[in-house]
Amino acid sequence: MGIAAEIYRIARGVADDRGGGPLESVTVVIGELAAVEPDLLEFAWRATVEGTADAPARLSVDWRAARQVCSRCGEIRERVPGSWLRLCPHCGGPLAVSGGDELDVRTIAFSDAPSAAAGGG
Amino acid sequence: MTEIDVRQKVLAANAAAAQALRSAFAASGTLVVNLISSPGSGKTTLLEATARELKRRLRLGALDGDIATERDAERLRRSGIPARQILTGGACHLDARQVEKALAEEGERFAGLDMLFIENVGNLICPTSYDLGEDFKAVLLSVVEGDDKPFKYPAIFARAAATVITKADLAPHVPFDLEGARQEVAALNPAARFLVLSARTGEGMEAWFALLEEELSRKRSAPVPAALP
Repeated sequence: MGIAAEIYRIARGVADDRGGGPLESVTVVIGELAAVEPDLLEFAWRATVEGTADAPARLSVDWRAARQVCSRCGEIRERVPGSWLRLCPHCGGPLAVSGGDELDVRTIAFSDAPSAAAGGG
Repeated sequence: MTEIDVRQKVLAANAAAAQALRSAFAASGTLVVNLISSPGSGKTTLLEATARELKRRLRLGALDGDIATERDAERLRRSGIPARQILTGGACHLDARQVEKALAEEGERFAGLDMLFIENVGNLICPTSYDLGEDFKAVLLSVVEGDDKPFKYPAIFARAAATVITKADLAPHVPFDLEGARQEVAALNPAARFLVLSARTGEGMEAWFALLEEELSRKRSAPVPAALP
Protein backbone atom coordinates (compact mmCIF):
# COMPACT_ATOMS: atom_id res chain seq x y z
CA MET A 1 0.00 0.00 0.00
CA GLY A 2 2.81 2.39 0.89
CA ILE A 3 4.47 1.78 -2.46
CA ALA A 4 1.22 2.39 -4.39
CA ALA A 5 0.68 5.62 -2.45
CA GLU A 6 4.21 6.80 -3.30
CA ILE A 7 3.71 5.97 -6.99
CA TYR A 8 0.48 7.95 -6.99
CA ARG A 9 2.06 10.89 -5.15
CA ILE A 10 4.90 11.06 -7.69
CA ALA A 11 2.66 10.63 -10.75
CA ARG A 12 0.05 13.14 -9.59
CA GLY A 13 2.79 15.58 -8.61
CA VAL A 14 4.42 15.44 -12.06
CA ALA A 15 1.04 15.92 -13.75
CA ASP A 16 0.18 18.83 -11.45
CA ASP A 17 3.54 20.51 -12.16
CA ARG A 18 2.55 20.55 -15.81
CA GLY A 19 -1.02 21.65 -15.22
CA GLY A 20 -2.29 18.29 -16.39
CA GLY A 21 -5.70 16.73 -15.98
CA PRO A 22 -6.56 13.22 -14.78
CA LEU A 23 -3.95 10.50 -15.11
CA GLU A 24 -4.58 7.98 -17.87
CA SER A 25 -1.73 5.59 -17.26
CA VAL A 26 1.37 5.10 -15.14
CA THR A 27 4.19 2.72 -15.99
CA VAL A 28 6.46 1.44 -13.25
CA VAL A 29 9.58 -0.69 -13.53
CA ILE A 30 9.75 -3.41 -10.91
CA GLY A 31 12.69 -5.73 -10.46
CA GLU A 32 12.38 -9.29 -9.27
CA LEU A 33 14.28 -8.34 -6.09
CA ALA A 34 12.33 -5.17 -5.31
CA ALA A 35 10.15 -7.04 -2.77
CA VAL A 36 7.04 -5.84 -4.62
CA GLU A 37 4.49 -8.27 -6.03
CA PRO A 38 2.99 -6.86 -9.28
CA ASP A 39 -0.49 -8.31 -8.70
CA LEU A 40 -0.67 -6.95 -5.17
CA LEU A 41 0.62 -3.59 -6.35
CA GLU A 42 -2.10 -3.44 -9.00
CA PHE A 43 -4.67 -4.17 -6.28
CA ALA A 44 -3.19 -1.50 -3.99
CA TRP A 45 -3.15 0.96 -6.91
CA ARG A 46 -6.88 0.50 -7.48
CA ALA A 47 -7.53 1.16 -3.80
CA THR A 48 -5.28 4.25 -3.87
CA VAL A 49 -6.88 5.99 -6.86
CA GLU A 50 -10.44 5.00 -6.01
CA GLY A 51 -12.60 8.02 -5.38
CA THR A 52 -10.19 10.43 -7.08
CA ALA A 53 -10.37 11.95 -10.56
CA ASP A 54 -7.57 9.53 -11.45
CA ALA A 55 -9.63 6.43 -10.70
CA PRO A 56 -9.63 5.20 -14.32
CA ALA A 57 -5.83 5.40 -14.58
CA ARG A 58 -4.12 2.14 -15.53
CA LEU A 59 -0.98 0.96 -13.79
CA SER A 60 1.37 -0.99 -16.08
CA VAL A 61 4.25 -2.97 -14.64
CA ASP A 62 7.42 -3.43 -16.63
CA TRP A 63 8.85 -6.41 -14.72
CA ARG A 64 12.60 -7.07 -14.82
CA ALA A 65 14.16 -10.38 -13.91
CA ALA A 66 17.36 -10.55 -11.89
CA ARG A 67 20.34 -12.41 -13.38
CA GLN A 68 22.56 -15.03 -11.79
CA VAL A 69 26.15 -14.81 -12.88
CA CYS A 70 29.06 -17.23 -12.43
CA SER A 71 32.49 -15.61 -12.27
CA ARG A 72 33.85 -18.30 -14.62
CA CYS A 73 30.91 -19.14 -16.91
CA GLY A 74 29.15 -15.78 -17.10
CA GLU A 75 25.39 -15.35 -17.02
CA ILE A 76 23.45 -18.53 -16.30
CA ARG A 77 21.03 -18.84 -19.20
CA GLU A 78 19.26 -21.86 -17.69
CA ARG A 79 17.93 -19.79 -14.84
CA VAL A 80 14.14 -19.43 -14.84
CA PRO A 81 12.90 -16.14 -13.32
CA GLY A 82 11.16 -16.84 -10.03
CA SER A 83 13.48 -19.68 -9.13
CA TRP A 84 17.13 -19.68 -8.16
CA LEU A 85 20.17 -21.90 -8.58
CA ARG A 86 22.41 -22.63 -5.64
CA LEU A 87 25.54 -23.27 -7.69
CA CYS A 88 26.66 -22.86 -11.30
CA PRO A 89 25.20 -25.76 -13.34
CA HIS A 90 28.35 -25.84 -15.53
CA CYS A 91 31.25 -25.66 -13.10
CA GLY A 92 29.63 -25.97 -9.67
CA GLY A 93 31.11 -22.64 -8.69
CA PRO A 94 29.47 -19.92 -6.62
CA LEU A 95 27.02 -17.53 -8.21
CA ALA A 96 26.32 -13.84 -7.79
CA VAL A 97 23.08 -11.98 -8.45
CA SER A 98 22.92 -8.93 -10.64
CA GLY A 99 20.08 -6.47 -11.28
CA GLY A 100 16.46 -6.98 -10.37
CA ASP A 101 16.29 -4.23 -7.75
CA GLU A 102 14.49 -1.65 -9.91
CA LEU A 103 11.54 0.22 -8.40
CA ASP A 104 10.94 3.29 -10.56
CA VAL A 105 8.12 5.34 -12.00
CA ARG A 106 9.02 5.30 -15.70
CA THR A 107 6.33 7.18 -17.61
CA ILE A 108 2.97 8.77 -16.95
CA ALA A 109 0.24 9.87 -19.34
CA PHE A 110 -2.46 12.36 -18.41
CA SER A 111 -5.33 14.06 -20.15
CA ASP A 112 -4.70 17.66 -21.14
CA ALA A 113 -8.13 18.86 -20.12
CA PRO A 114 -7.67 20.22 -16.60
CA SER A 115 -10.06 18.69 -14.15
CA ALA A 116 -11.41 20.50 -11.12
CA ALA A 117 -10.98 17.36 -9.03
CA ALA A 118 -7.34 16.81 -10.03
CA GLY A 119 -4.60 17.80 -7.65
CA GLY A 120 -6.56 17.02 -4.55
CA GLY A 121 -5.13 13.57 -4.08
CA MET B 1 -3.01 13.43 -23.89
CA THR B 2 0.50 14.16 -22.66
CA GLU B 3 3.10 11.52 -21.96
CA ILE B 4 6.00 12.27 -19.65
CA ASP B 5 9.20 10.32 -19.16
CA VAL B 6 9.42 10.46 -15.36
CA ARG B 7 12.23 8.04 -14.38
CA GLN B 8 11.95 8.62 -10.65
CA LYS B 9 12.73 6.20 -7.86
CA VAL B 10 9.46 5.29 -6.19
CA LEU B 11 11.07 5.52 -2.76
CA ALA B 12 13.06 8.72 -3.41
CA ALA B 13 11.39 10.55 -0.49
CA ASN B 14 12.24 7.73 1.92
CA ALA B 15 15.76 7.57 0.51
CA ALA B 16 16.27 11.29 1.21
CA ALA B 17 15.13 10.88 4.83
CA ALA B 18 17.37 7.81 5.18
CA GLN B 19 20.33 9.78 3.86
CA ALA B 20 19.76 12.50 6.45
CA LEU B 21 19.69 9.86 9.17
CA ARG B 22 22.85 8.24 7.78
CA SER B 23 24.69 11.57 7.92
CA ALA B 24 23.59 12.12 11.51
CA PHE B 25 24.68 8.59 12.49
CA ALA B 26 28.03 9.15 10.75
CA ALA B 27 28.55 12.36 12.72
CA SER B 28 27.74 10.69 16.04
CA GLY B 29 29.66 7.51 15.18
CA THR B 30 26.60 5.35 15.88
CA LEU B 31 26.46 1.90 14.33
CA VAL B 32 22.90 1.23 13.18
CA VAL B 33 21.57 -2.25 12.51
CA ASN B 34 18.17 -2.87 10.91
CA LEU B 35 16.89 -6.27 12.07
CA ILE B 36 14.38 -7.94 9.78
CA SER B 37 12.66 -11.32 10.12
CA SER B 38 9.34 -13.12 10.32
CA PRO B 39 7.36 -12.66 13.52
CA GLY B 40 8.66 -14.97 16.21
CA SER B 41 12.11 -15.70 14.85
CA GLY B 42 13.77 -14.12 17.86
CA LYS B 43 14.66 -10.50 17.11
CA THR B 44 13.78 -9.26 20.58
CA THR B 45 15.40 -12.23 22.32
CA LEU B 46 18.61 -11.66 20.33
CA LEU B 47 18.56 -7.99 21.32
CA GLU B 48 17.95 -8.80 24.99
CA ALA B 49 21.02 -11.05 25.00
CA THR B 50 22.99 -8.42 23.06
CA ALA B 51 21.99 -5.72 25.56
CA ARG B 52 23.00 -7.85 28.55
CA GLU B 53 26.46 -8.42 27.08
CA LEU B 54 27.34 -5.14 25.36
CA LYS B 55 25.73 -2.57 27.65
CA ARG B 56 28.63 -3.05 30.07
CA ARG B 57 31.00 -1.38 27.63
CA LEU B 58 28.82 0.42 25.06
CA ARG B 59 25.85 2.79 24.99
CA LEU B 60 23.03 0.97 23.23
CA GLY B 61 19.51 1.89 22.21
CA ALA B 62 16.66 0.23 20.36
CA LEU B 63 13.67 1.22 18.28
CA ASP B 64 10.95 -1.43 18.03
CA GLY B 65 8.50 -1.41 15.15
CA ASP B 66 5.23 -3.21 15.70
CA ILE B 67 1.64 -2.91 14.62
CA ALA B 68 0.42 -2.95 18.21
CA THR B 69 1.58 -3.16 21.86
CA GLU B 70 4.61 -1.84 23.74
CA ARG B 71 5.75 -5.36 24.62
CA ASP B 72 9.05 -5.45 22.75
CA ALA B 73 10.25 -2.07 23.98
CA GLU B 74 9.27 -3.03 27.54
CA ARG B 75 11.30 -6.24 27.28
CA LEU B 76 14.34 -4.33 26.07
CA ARG B 77 14.03 -1.66 28.75
CA ARG B 78 13.99 -4.47 31.31
CA SER B 79 17.27 -5.69 29.84
CA GLY B 80 18.73 -2.30 30.68
CA ILE B 81 18.83 -0.20 27.52
CA PRO B 82 16.68 2.72 26.32
CA ALA B 83 14.04 1.39 23.96
CA ARG B 84 11.24 3.14 22.14
CA GLN B 85 8.26 1.47 20.50
CA ILE B 86 7.13 2.76 17.11
CA LEU B 87 3.57 1.68 16.46
CA THR B 88 2.80 1.59 12.76
CA GLY B 89 -0.96 1.25 13.12
CA GLY B 90 -1.22 -1.54 10.59
CA ALA B 91 1.70 -0.81 8.29
CA CYS B 92 3.93 -3.84 7.79
CA HIS B 93 7.28 -2.00 7.84
CA LEU B 94 9.10 1.02 9.30
CA ASP B 95 10.08 3.94 7.10
CA ALA B 96 12.86 6.49 7.54
CA ARG B 97 10.52 9.30 8.56
CA GLN B 98 9.14 7.26 11.47
CA VAL B 99 12.70 6.67 12.65
CA GLU B 100 13.54 10.39 12.33
CA LYS B 101 10.44 11.35 14.29
CA ALA B 102 11.04 8.82 17.07
CA LEU B 103 14.67 9.91 17.50
CA ALA B 104 13.71 13.59 17.49
CA GLU B 105 11.10 12.97 20.19
CA GLU B 106 13.52 10.95 22.30
CA GLY B 107 16.22 13.64 22.13
CA GLU B 108 19.05 13.20 24.65
CA ARG B 109 18.15 9.66 25.63
CA PHE B 110 19.11 8.42 22.16
CA ALA B 111 21.84 10.97 21.38
CA GLY B 112 25.41 9.81 20.84
CA LEU B 113 24.74 6.08 21.11
CA ASP B 114 27.44 3.59 20.18
CA MET B 115 24.90 1.23 18.64
CA LEU B 116 21.27 1.64 17.67
CA PHE B 117 19.22 -1.44 16.87
CA ILE B 118 16.11 -0.98 14.80
CA GLU B 119 13.83 -3.97 15.22
CA ASN B 120 11.60 -3.84 12.17
CA VAL B 121 8.01 -5.09 11.99
CA GLY B 122 7.99 -8.89 11.70
CA ASN B 123 7.79 -9.42 7.95
CA LEU B 124 10.29 -10.70 5.36
CA ILE B 125 8.93 -8.63 2.47
CA CYS B 126 7.95 -4.96 2.92
CA PRO B 127 10.73 -3.86 5.32
CA THR B 128 13.21 -4.89 2.62
CA SER B 129 12.34 -1.90 0.45
CA TYR B 130 12.77 0.85 3.04
CA ASP B 131 16.23 2.20 3.82
CA LEU B 132 16.31 3.47 7.41
CA GLY B 133 19.78 4.99 7.27
CA GLU B 134 21.27 1.82 8.76
CA ASP B 135 24.82 0.59 8.32
CA PHE B 136 23.52 -2.84 7.47
CA LYS B 137 20.47 -5.04 7.51
CA ALA B 138 20.58 -8.29 9.44
CA VAL B 139 17.99 -10.90 8.52
CA LEU B 140 17.09 -13.49 11.14
CA LEU B 141 15.87 -16.96 10.21
CA SER B 142 15.05 -19.41 12.98
CA VAL B 143 15.63 -23.10 12.39
CA VAL B 144 11.94 -23.84 13.03
CA GLU B 145 10.91 -21.72 10.03
CA GLY B 146 12.69 -23.97 7.56
CA ASP B 147 15.80 -23.86 5.40
CA ASP B 148 13.92 -22.96 2.20
CA LYS B 149 13.32 -19.32 3.10
CA PRO B 150 16.28 -17.60 1.37
CA PHE B 151 15.09 -18.56 -2.14
CA LYS B 152 11.45 -17.94 -1.18
CA TYR B 153 12.19 -14.41 0.06
CA PRO B 154 15.22 -13.58 -2.08
CA ALA B 155 15.04 -9.79 -1.82
CA ILE B 156 15.84 -9.56 1.88
CA PHE B 157 18.53 -12.24 1.80
CA ALA B 158 20.12 -10.49 -1.21
CA ARG B 159 20.24 -7.18 0.66
CA ALA B 160 21.10 -8.21 4.21
CA ALA B 161 24.83 -8.04 4.95
CA ALA B 162 24.31 -10.63 7.67
CA THR B 163 22.06 -13.66 7.82
CA VAL B 164 21.59 -14.87 11.39
CA ILE B 165 20.24 -18.38 11.91
CA THR B 166 18.53 -18.29 15.31
CA LYS B 167 17.23 -20.89 17.80
CA ALA B 168 20.16 -23.16 16.95
CA ASP B 169 19.45 -25.03 20.21
CA LEU B 170 16.29 -26.37 18.55
CA ALA B 171 18.13 -27.65 15.46
CA PRO B 172 18.29 -31.28 16.71
CA HIS B 173 14.48 -31.34 16.90
CA VAL B 174 13.63 -30.00 13.44
CA PRO B 175 14.69 -30.80 9.90
CA PHE B 176 16.84 -27.81 8.93
CA ASP B 177 19.49 -28.18 6.24
CA LEU B 178 22.06 -25.67 7.44
CA GLU B 179 24.40 -26.19 4.50
CA GLY B 180 21.51 -25.78 2.05
CA ALA B 181 20.46 -22.51 3.70
CA ARG B 182 24.06 -21.32 3.65
CA GLN B 183 24.33 -22.08 -0.09
CA GLU B 184 21.08 -20.29 -0.86
CA VAL B 185 22.18 -17.16 1.02
CA ALA B 186 25.57 -17.26 -0.73
CA ALA B 187 23.92 -17.57 -4.17
CA LEU B 188 21.88 -14.44 -3.48
CA ASN B 189 24.59 -12.49 -1.68
CA PRO B 190 28.12 -13.93 -1.84
CA ALA B 191 29.47 -11.27 0.54
CA ALA B 192 26.89 -11.89 3.29
CA ARG B 193 28.04 -12.99 6.73
CA PHE B 194 26.34 -16.18 7.91
CA LEU B 195 25.96 -16.74 11.65
CA VAL B 196 24.35 -19.58 13.55
CA LEU B 197 23.41 -18.92 17.16
CA SER B 198 21.06 -19.40 20.07
CA ALA B 199 20.36 -16.35 22.19
CA ARG B 200 18.92 -18.67 24.87
CA THR B 201 21.94 -20.93 25.34
CA GLY B 202 24.56 -18.41 24.23
CA GLU B 203 25.86 -20.74 21.52
CA GLY B 204 27.34 -18.73 18.63
CA MET B 205 26.73 -15.38 20.33
CA GLU B 206 30.43 -14.47 20.45
CA ALA B 207 30.52 -14.24 16.63
CA TRP B 208 27.52 -11.89 16.69
CA PHE B 209 29.10 -9.62 19.29
CA ALA B 210 32.37 -9.67 17.35
CA LEU B 211 30.58 -8.74 14.12
CA LEU B 212 28.93 -5.76 15.83
CA GLU B 213 32.13 -4.55 17.45
CA GLU B 214 34.11 -4.97 14.22
CA GLU B 215 31.53 -2.97 12.29
CA LEU B 216 31.52 -0.26 14.97
CA SER B 217 35.29 0.15 14.91
CA ARG B 218 35.29 0.02 11.13
CA LYS B 219 32.71 2.80 11.01
CA ARG B 220 34.68 4.93 13.45
CA SER B 221 37.96 4.51 11.63
CA ALA B 222 36.44 5.19 8.21
CA PRO B 223 36.21 8.75 6.90
CA VAL B 224 32.97 7.88 5.10
CA PRO B 225 30.09 5.71 6.33
CA ALA B 226 30.80 1.99 5.88
CA ALA B 227 29.31 0.83 2.61
CA LEU B 228 27.78 -2.52 3.42
CA PRO B 229 25.09 -3.48 0.91
